[in-house]
Amino acid sequence: MPGKYIPVNREAEMTLWEKSYVPEIIRGLIVTASHFFPNFVGVFRAYFTGKTEKRKIMTIYYPEEKPFIPDAYRGRPVLVRNPDGRERCVACGLCEVACPPKCIFIIGAKRKDGTRYPASYNLDGSICIFCGLCEAACPEEAIVMSRQYENLAEYDRGLMLYDKESLLVPAEKLERRLQHIRKRMFGRCTY
Amino acid sequence: MFEYSYIPPAPLLPEILEMMLKIVFIFTMNMGFFAPVLGYVERKQSALMQDRIGANRADLFGVTAGGLLHIMTDAIKLLFKEDFIPRGADKLLHTIAPLIAVVPALIAFTVIPFGGTYVLWGHKVNLVIADLDMGILFIFAVTSLATYGGAIAGWASNNNWSLLGGVRVAAQMFSYEVAMGLSLVGVFMVFGSLRLTEIGMAQENFWHWGIFYQPLGFILFFACALAENKRVPFDVPEAESELIAGYFTEYSGLKFAMFWMAEFLEIVTIAAILTVLFFGGWNIPFVTLQSLVSFFGFLGDTGSQAAAMFLQVAVFWLKVGALIFLQMLIRWSLPRFRYDQVMNLGWKIILPLALLNIFLTGLFILAAN
Repeated sequence: MPGKYIPVNREAEMTLWEKSYVPEIIRGLIVTASHFFPNFVGVFRAYFTGKTEKRKIMTIYYPEEKPFIPDAYRGRPVLVRNPDGRERCVACGLCEVACPPKCIFIIGAKRKDGTRYPASYNLDGSICIFCGLCEAACPEEAIVMSRQYENLAEYDRGLMLYDKESLLVPAEKLERRLQHIRKRMFGRCTY
Repeated sequence: MFEYSYIPPAPLLPEILEMMLKIVFIFTMNMGFFAPVLGYVERKQSALMQDRIGANRADLFGVTAGGLLHIMTDAIKLLFKEDFIPRGADKLLHTIAPLIAVVPALIAFTVIPFGGTYVLWGHKVNLVIADLDMGILFIFAVTSLATYGGAIAGWASNNNWSLLGGVRVAAQMFSYEVAMGLSLVGVFMVFGSLRLTEIGMAQENFWHWGIFYQPLGFILFFACALAENKRVPFDVPEAESELIAGYFTEYSGLKFAMFWMAEFLEIVTIAAILTVLFFGGWNIPFVTLQSLVSFFGFLGDTGSQAAAMFLQVAVFWLKVGALIFLQMLIRWSLPRFRYDQVMNLGWKIILPLALLNIFLTGLFILAAN
């Protein structure tokens, strides 16, 4: 959002009103007091009723309060599981090619009805850079970036190697992200 | 204006008891309540003014009480810190400097009345520890002793920053002491007394409060008092960005806490002086002591007097609290003056204005008579 441009005259002489100093101090005190009193009321309201949405204070006490995560946020990449229990992924390998640090490893296979699926889909979380190019490359909306940002770091790199089962997430949980991708790809706004 | 009839000498025991109770009350109010709580208030108020939340992490069995427990953690931290004396420092002076700073702040409160005169069980109770007839001059004399605390601390620390801070303390106190005394002369002229109890009693009517007689005197005295207290915007003696912490750079543990306490006690003292001189002291606006006593008449003689006493003392501390809030607001709103600006303001602006105030007050009194 572009800011408003306010020209400042730095050579301005102070008027007598400003030179007398006391009224300008009082004006300054009113500004600080107008921050103090709403916050004072807001803190007590938050303490007793737990309503924190409309307060002026932007500080978030992280473990107790969670920040708002927008749909465009790129968290841990996950595979989408259809309502019928099958994964959407068809093991075409486009994400494997698109991935800049090469952290995706796919072995494809064919079901008896002729559809393809990944027999193994490994994603190394310690290499992944959360760029979202796998999501952009995927023709099936099968791999998307979730909003998960917690519990990604481990003490052992082996634990950060996600296999297919740990990557699969039901489609209804990712509905907002899927909507967001469609809007981004087919809407007027692209980045 | 005031007539005193002969009061027979009171029996000794109630006299001593009354004095003890008053001293204990003032001491607990200052050291037990204001000194620790203002530390919390300052943090929390500055946080809320800057759209932060402020200290709230210390907890005892999961209860944080809005950060109030930080008072306890502060005290424990300061108690267990190493008491550090730098090499080459003057051990004796380095040790007694914090005492010199904190004791005057406590003593100044002895002459400040925190209530009127009441009759309890036939015994006359005057709610001031020492009712001196030159009360405000006593305050000036005692509070200027606190200057030695800062100056000696700066000298004894064997540290360049401390020395500069100590010199600045001395210079700033000297500059503002003159203007501070002169800015209050108008008040004494209006009320015709130096005795703080008399000044407080004369303001029973709301429209006779000192702020209406002496608005200029109030602003001048307030500015001088802030300068005496060495807080922002007049904190050049301890300017963090220039002198680390000024005269108490080399202090730690409880000695540091004493400087800290002296600062907060001076805030309370300033607020109390302002309340007595300009904001009607213990008087409730539009309510006189007689009407209060007759309102509580159903409690009997002593009961009604005691009820009026509690109410008026509570109002006094409420006013003090409001003025403390104002001082904290100023401390967190204004930037620091440059050193030459402090001197200019003291000598070239406040001093002539104080003299002008005396002259104008004299003219008005002459015209009114």
